[in-house]
Amino acid sequence: MNNRVTPLKTELVIRTVTACLTVLISASFASANDVPAPIMEHGFTKQAVPMFEMYCADCHQGGAAEGGFDLDRYAKGSQIQTEFETWEKVLRVVTERQMPPKDADQPSEVELQELRTILQAELATFDCEANARPGRVTLRRLNRAEYNNTVRDLLGVDYRPADEFPSDDVGNGFDNIGDVLVIPPLLMEKYLAAAEQIVERTFANEELKKKILVHKAEGEGVELLEAVRKNIDGFASRAFRRPATDEELTRLLGLMVNAYQQGAEPEEAFKLGMQAVLASPHFIFRVELDPTEEDADGIRELNGYEIASRLSYFLWSSMPDEELFALAKSGELTQTTTIQTQVRRMLADPKSKALTENFAGQWLQLRNLNQISPNPEQFPSFNAELRDAMRTETELFFESILHENRSILDFLTADFSHVNETLAKHYGLEGIEGNEFRRVSLNADRRGVLTQASILLITSNPTRTSPVKRGKWILDNILGEPPPPPPEGVEELVEAEQALGSLRERMEEHRENESCAVCHRKMDTLGFGLENFDVIGSWRNADGKFAIDASGTLPGAVSFKTPVELMELLAERKSQEFSRCLTEKMLTYALGRGLESYDRCAVNVILAELQEKGYRFRGLIEAIAISEPFLKREGKGKP
Amino acid sequence: MMSKQPQLTRRNMLRGMGVSLALPWMESLSSASSMSRHLSQPDAPPLRMGFVFVPNGVHLQDWTPKAEGFGFELPYILEPLQAVKDDLLVLSGLTHDKGRANGDGAGDHARSASVFLTGAQPRKTAGSNIRSGISVDQAAAQAVGRATKFASIELGCERGRGAGNCDSGYSCAYSSNISWAGESTPVGKETNPRAVFERLFGGDSPAQVEKGYARRQAMKKSVLDFITEDTRKLQKQLGGNDQQKLEEYLNGVREIERRLESNDKIAASNGEFEYNGPDGEPKDYREHLRLMADMMVLAFQSDTTRIATYMFANAGSNRNYRNIEVPDGHHDLSHHGGNAEKLAKIRKINRFHVEQLAYLLGRLKSIREGESTLLDNSMIVYGSGLSDGNRHNNENLPVLMAGSGRGSITTGRHLRFPEETPMCNLFMSMLDRMGAPVDFIGDSTGRLHGLEV
Repeated sequence: MNNRVTPLKTELVIRTVTACLTVLISASFASANDVPAPIMEHGFTKQAVPMFEMYCADCHQGGAAEGGFDLDRYAKGSQIQTEFETWEKVLRVVTERQMPPKDADQPSEVELQELRTILQAELATFDCEANARPGRVTLRRLNRAEYNNTVRDLLGVDYRPADEFPSDDVGNGFDNIGDVLVIPPLLMEKYLAAAEQIVERTFANEELKKKILVHKAEGEGVELLEAVRKNIDGFASRAFRRPATDEELTRLLGLMVNAYQQGAEPEEAFKLGMQAVLASPHFIFRVELDPTEEDADGIRELNGYEIASRLSYFLWSSMPDEELFALAKSGELTQTTTIQTQVRRMLADPKSKALTENFAGQWLQLRNLNQISPNPEQFPSFNAELRDAMRTETELFFESILHENRSILDFLTADFSHVNETLAKHYGLEGIEGNEFRRVSLNADRRGVLTQASILLITSNPTRTSPVKRGKWILDNILGEPPPPPPEGVEELVEAEQALGSLRERMEEHRENESCAVCHRKMDTLGFGLENFDVIGSWRNADGKFAIDASGTLPGAVSFKTPVELMELLAERKSQEFSRCLTEKMLTYALGRGLESYDRCAVNVILAELQEKGYRFRGLIEAIAISEPFLKREGKGKP
Repeated sequence: MMSKQPQLTRRNMLRGMGVSLALPWMESLSSASSMSRHLSQPDAPPLRMGFVFVPNGVHLQDWTPKAEGFGFELPYILEPLQAVKDDLLVLSGLTHDKGRANGDGAGDHARSASVFLTGAQPRKTAGSNIRSGISVDQAAAQAVGRATKFASIELGCERGRGAGNCDSGYSCAYSSNISWAGESTPVGKETNPRAVFERLFGGDSPAQVEKGYARRQAMKKSVLDFITEDTRKLQKQLGGNDQQKLEEYLNGVREIERRLESNDKIAASNGEFEYNGPDGEPKDYREHLRLMADMMVLAFQSDTTRIATYMFANAGSNRNYRNIEVPDGHHDLSHHGGNAEKLAKIRKINRFHVEQLAYLLGRLKSIREGESTLLDNSMIVYGSGLSDGNRHNNENLPVLMAGSGRGSITTGRHLRFPEETPMCNLFMSMLDRMGAPVDFIGDSTGRLHGLEV
């Protein structure tokens, strides 16, 4: 068997190396329209099928095919429309090298890369009209930021109980993903303690207390009970972010009456009812009920209250306000025009600062700034003040694009930023005094967010820059092409002393080995394009005794000489990739779930609207807020 | 009784709270205690179990003693343990096979933490459907944890990462947790010593047991009943993964109900001393590590729990160790590539961690429980889920155990087990001693022989 396969395999490797490079070059650095169509059309049958024959046929062919994956069915085509999930799975197990099994012949890195490209292209041909799915967000508890903000907006009490909660786990790059947000016993304990504290603090303030105890009883007995019921209704209906049901109110009333009968003071009994509301799953979780049998295709449209919460937690990381509740009640909030108006209103509200803190903070990873401390002997000018200024700069930059409704491409090429005196000195800008941040035009050496000190710092090691980290960061967060993890058994690059050459010379090792070069060629080129910026983002012309060479050539034979040229190149040639990447990140954040294969369809619709609106940032947010996955929910039964 | 805690009260950052702790194992009171009787030996102090995790492997050449058996010399990294050398068992040759890629590709760091106490291959996912396995501490907690106010406590000095996927496609849940209550439920850990202290001891003390106590307990219970009913109703309306979230929530409620009941019993015990709680999360890492160690000691000493885990840092941690003149990130350094300068820094970090372990063990040893010490009545396992941070290998892990497990373990030795002996076999032996035997855990193949001569 092996004797027969080996020569064929060698031939195939040579053929596929060539093909793969062609695909890589054409697919990754030319705009989508320039992709030579024939390669894509015939890629599956001409290139993928032979590879399957070679590596998979032993187990996956004929009637007894393992796992029901029978290659005979796909000899003439992938049948993507009906077999989408199959191919997605194939893509995943092959990319992650779960298949072929360890004891079988393995495809080379180059072959794997080629297969990935072909399968992704194949998946992209999926026809959305035929198979629309909004997806299903797993019951999502409030994360720490959401909990704090919700308590603030619910009661007006100045108290951040969630600061004491254990940190929220992160999935898909964000800490608001329903599947990942677990409730360990420790957290449940904190919820109960917080419920007690929140109520105590609210009642300690006469003003706040009055807002809860709105209804006064004229008499005793039934009238008193009626007033209590109205008061707890008012509170629970806001805390649950939808009207409390009669059944819930009756049980709450029972709880309070019972406490009263056991000797609690009336106020103490009422506070107990509030505690029960704050500990209830209807407060802790954002509950959206499943579709019922009456809903066509097992999909239901969210009601006004659910939409109000989706919007408020997306843009404010908090509960809806009175206006949203009113629109939910009247039913108007299910109309797209109302939603768009509300998005604009909500973005103008100071509470939209949460989008900067929680979305930008995680997309751009600004939250990691605190965990990084450059070596003070090498970087004596670095201190907490400078670190804070770096974060503020990027936050203000994000906000200016948001609030001025600028093109999202400004993230890459804007020639302005915001600095205070500390940061101005760091950047070599003159004439800026004082702690206040103000907008400035940048020197010719910086453009966009990738040249801001915050990003440059979080992608560095404490003692030196890391072009690999920087390149990977751009692929992950700007281009949406996260490189696969290095193959098993690959040793980290040996970092010898500078005596052996510049960092760049030492890193050439990545490119000598073809299995590394497949990814590192691009990753390292992007990273070295920023080598003029040191660990803390200061401009430099030399690294030790070596002059900086920031030039590079990206696949597609496009060259750049400086960081700014690289940024212009990205904005010019990679605007599609960047738009898609930002859309996917923001949709993930807005939904609170990782994107699935079928979400490509929704992403495409959002992208089309974004383009129509000239890449304006608000266009993106509005398009997300009226997208199918944002406004609908499917049940678990849908295949 | 203040004099029992000289190191703690001496620190100027510890001040202010003065909570009374029940101390069931104070010598003079041991016969009076009603709470803390061990299952098999009602009059003996209970057996405690602790696990300490350090990230990024160690420099093994300076960790492994040259000689085996009794009378080995402590190598450079272990030198700080001189004072407790006779209480140690250095265990060479143990392996976590499920920390290896086994077809899942890169992500050794995330795996090294999630596998450390579970011996289970974590499912590679950055988002939904995290899955590992139950950890040894939680297996013990679920079997015998009911004896104490807290079934277990989970400590650490680094919060979970704030952003990003933590390691090559593995969710941060894997790299920031070693305790797993079930295959999809990492337990979460407390990183603020003050919060730990308040959680452990801030509840109703004997002094607070007065007239309204019973009513307040009943009210708390009624809230729990209310939210349990809410949850039951929701469970009927939701499906899929939502069910699991509601189950997690209910587990938390049940745990608190149980604690409310045991609080009643604890409130009835006597024997107190004053301890001033810590202020919060100290900036200094050494101080932070030691305060957390204090919390573990206090929890054991007061028999508030018998089971604890402690992550000195998260897997793949890249914190710097400027306090010991190592400005570089730990993870970056661990990829030393044989570079002598980097190796020198690595072993310095390894030794620094062991110094903090020595502090913990010294404190445990300083506390008398009848004829024995708290350390004698403990099994503290210290180690990393990676062997060498450069090679990322999972065999011959750096592991040591301290404390004789109430005389069931012959300490003062260096044992070498055959290659590929599952680390989980050690867990099997420990669970037996805790009175919580299981048929298997993770990839265990049996018990570890030779712990007792």
